[in-house]
Amino acid sequence: MQRYDFLKAIAQDTGDALAVAAGGAAREWLALRPGDGTLRTRTLGLASSIALGIALGLPHRKVIVFDGDGAFLMNLCGLPTIAWHHSGNLIHILFDNECYEASGGTETATAAVADAVALAKGAGYKYSCWAKDPEEFRSEFLKAWKRNDLSLIAAKVDPGRPKLPPILQDELENKYRFIRYIEETEKKTILGPADHSMRR
Amino acid sequence: MDQRGCAEILKEGLKKAGIDFVATLPDLKIVELIKSVKQDSTLRHVSLCREEEGVGICAGAYLTGKRCALIMQNGGLLNSCNALTTTSLQFQIPLLLLVYYAGDIGDRGFATVGSVTEPVLGALGIRTYVPRKMEEIEDTLIGAQALADDSKQPVAVLLTKSVLGVK
Repeated sequence: MQRYDFLKAIAQDTGDALAVAAGGAAREWLALRPGDGTLRTRTLGLASSIALGIALGLPHRKVIVFDGDGAFLMNLCGLPTIAWHHSGNLIHILFDNECYEASGGTETATAAVADAVALAKGAGYKYSCWAKDPEEFRSEFLKAWKRNDLSLIAAKVDPGRPKLPPILQDELENKYRFIRYIEETEKKTILGPADHSMRR
Repeated sequence: MDQRGCAEILKEGLKKAGIDFVATLPDLKIVELIKSVKQDSTLRHVSLCREEEGVGICAGAYLTGKRCALIMQNGGLLNSCNALTTTSLQFQIPLLLLVYYAGDIGDRGFATVGSVTEPVLGALGIRTYVPRKMEEIEDTLIGAQALADDSKQPVAVLLTKSVLGVK
């Protein structure tokens, strides 16, 4: 089972949630859920922290972060911060393929010794579990959605990704569209006037 | 002025600059400032385990309409360089960096980190201001935040002992 199989299992269940993901996970999620509600991040490990910031800024709105094991391990220190300061609306998904797939496929520490679910628990996540297949993954996801409390759902996946069309938006277009999408759906102004004479 | 008085002026300056979201990691010299931010119910405060995550948290909060500051020591600034490059600069996200300038002239014990601080900020293209008198604080913070907002980039204000009330 690959990441895409797990993503497919929840693609119809995420309502108006905002999503944060990097690399392949972002491309796959956008194929399943086209639109402007997904932010593609570029700094390895930072997706979960960026998602926390979004969740804190919009505490009534669901935010989902799709993390990978390499990124997760790089930002372990972000986990206690998330567990400490979260606003209940963040669902942390981890696809653990036990390797740095995008960087050549060498193994990560989760292939050898590290247990991501235990790491999250140790960091203070009250709800942190493994899902063994897409069905169990969906059921845990729906529970997390209802619970409205920080949850980590992790799944071991095989490396590999489907053939999908390339993403055409660069990070700036992605950022602006993401902000405009929030403005539209939250009925609020985020970016001030572009006309400098109108600025304070 | 003592540390608490300086902290109050800095915190009020942040608020006048429009800041409403602050992520922090302490140094002994900025602990009064962090306490003052934490006690202010109009500021959303997040305490960090490592400064780099703060760049991410602030970026996310910015996307939802928050105006964000990251308060840390210059060692933490060095920890944050990849995130500043591949998140703040690459996505053009404003961020006010309030950085305690350890190893500044007259500040013993951190000469190495002090010596690389301004060159690193310069290499990142992050505009940097070093107010040395309390009466400069408010205008510097308001101006730096306006610059960050207009340029959609991080702007750094380095805090020396003289504006932190540290002897």
